[in-house]
Amino acid sequence: MPAAPRPHRAAHPRRRGAARAYSRPALSKGILTGADDASTIRLAPLPADVAQRTGVAAVSLDHGRREVLLDDGERVGYDGLVLATGARAATLTDIGSADPGAVETVLRDLDDARALAGRLVTRPRVLVVGGGVLGTEVASACVAAGCEVTVVGRDAPLLPQLGAHLADVVVAAARRHGVRFAHHEGGVRLRGAGPATTVDLADGRRFEADLVITAIGCRPNVEWLAGSGLLPARHRGGLAVDDRCRLVPGVVAAGDVAAFPGPTGHRRSPLWTSAIEQAGTAAAALLRADAAPLVPRPYFWTEQFGLALKACGALPVAGPPAVVDGDPDVGGALLRWPETTAVSINQRVPIARLRALALAG
Amino acid sequence: MKITVDRDRCEGYGLCEERAPRLVHLDDDGELVVDVDEIPAERVAEAQDAARVCPVAALRIGA
Ligand SMILES: Cc1cc2nc3c(=O)[nH]c(=O)nc-3n(C[C@H](O)[C@H](O)[C@H](O)COP(=O)(O)OP(=O)(O)OC[C@H]3O[C@@H](n4cnc5c(N)ncnc54)[C@H](O)[C@@H]3O)c2cc1C
Ligand code: SF4
Repeated sequence: MPAAPRPHRAAHPRRRGAARAYSRPALSKGILTGADDASTIRLAPLPADVAQRTGVAAVSLDHGRREVLLDDGERVGYDGLVLATGARAATLTDIGSADPGAVETVLRDLDDARALAGRLVTRPRVLVVGGGVLGTEVASACVAAGCEVTVVGRDAPLLPQLGAHLADVVVAAARRHGVRFAHHEGGVRLRGAGPATTVDLADGRRFEADLVITAIGCRPNVEWLAGSGLLPARHRGGLAVDDRCRLVPGVVAAGDVAAFPGPTGHRRSPLWTSAIEQAGTAAAALLRADAAPLVPRPYFWTEQFGLALKACGALPVAGPPAVVDGDPDVGGALLRWPETTAVSINQRVPIARLRALALAG
Repeated sequence: MKITVDRDRCEGYGLCEERAPRLVHLDDDGELVVDVDEIPAERVAEAQDAARVCPVAALRIGA
């Protein structure tokens, strides 16, 4: 039997900002459109028996001595450790696709969202780099603010994330709202130093705007683990855990920082529900030797261009769906891809029903 | 202690129900139903947990 960990006093240097925890998905939705503010997206406080330290960062880990070093010099001991440092916005500079000195606008935290919302008031012409779900959600908020918006990227918009059918539904709605799209497999290059305004697409087209927003995915916050011996040489893909979210004995990882094993190897799944599922498994695995493995139940949603889309099951989905209810072209619809995925568009469906539909043959 | 739902915010994601199925559920129309008037003392932590997983912060636990 392992020694019983001290769960509540374990080092848990989770939140860097001094602000109370808030709902990150709301940043690209209600905060940008103005429907929300910091007070309405605040999360319920942690139970009173969790000691919380905010406004500090963990800067290194000495797992031999079971200590986390904080940036104020304090060392926090632990029996069990949860690594949940999340991710940050990837930039074009990160991937070598920006001229030296380029200053990029990204959306990851509340300060980013507030700053961006402030910029949108002046209705700049906007270029969104990255046609993933975050990029298109941002585009939606920008058109709602009255901006002219173009989305440029390497892949066809939303295709790798959602699959052809669903991507078409969302992109068609975006075009109806006036959004323009351009992509090329060769990717983009950000031109010039200072606040970005010019983007070259690999096919030679040049795009100019008042504001360029980079939304090309996120990178795991693992650099602070560099000296710990727990960080593999290739860590761009996150902390590779086992099916109980364990990294090494006494250390678990969950959320955007963790890469969970699946049929195609270890992959990060930087989504709200994945983080919640993994957190439950990780905590149980830290406390009990016989904790059950996690069988992920993927659940995804997005809101953009008047569409509220919820999906249970795997994404992207290939091929056309069976229409269970409604009509995707007129109002809401309930769609399914047998034995894989069920999707509701502008329809309120209990998640249990959506899940059952996804699993049904 | 009571659970209150901000109807305008709740998007019917149902994550709260997965955490606290004895306290809240989505009905057939996808509307969230609060199943208890007063939260039993032994389920207050469960209720807080449900509120914390809601991605739009639509649940409030309070007097
Ligand atoms: C704009 C936006 C919109 C999104 N919309 C959706 C959506 O619609 N649906 C969906 O499913 N998902 C969405 N997501 C993703 C979702 O928000 C994340 O998957 C989720 O927040 C992951 O939680 P986490 O706790 O793993 O990481 P994070 O939320 O990143 O939290 C990590 C925390 O660790 C802190 N930290 C990092 N390094 C250190 C350190 N060294 N020391 C101390 N603290 C540290 C960070 O400051 C942060 O507070 C969205 C994300 C963004 C940015
Ligand atoms: S998790 Fe939040 S949005 Fe979802 S049903 Fe519960 S209260 Fe509503």
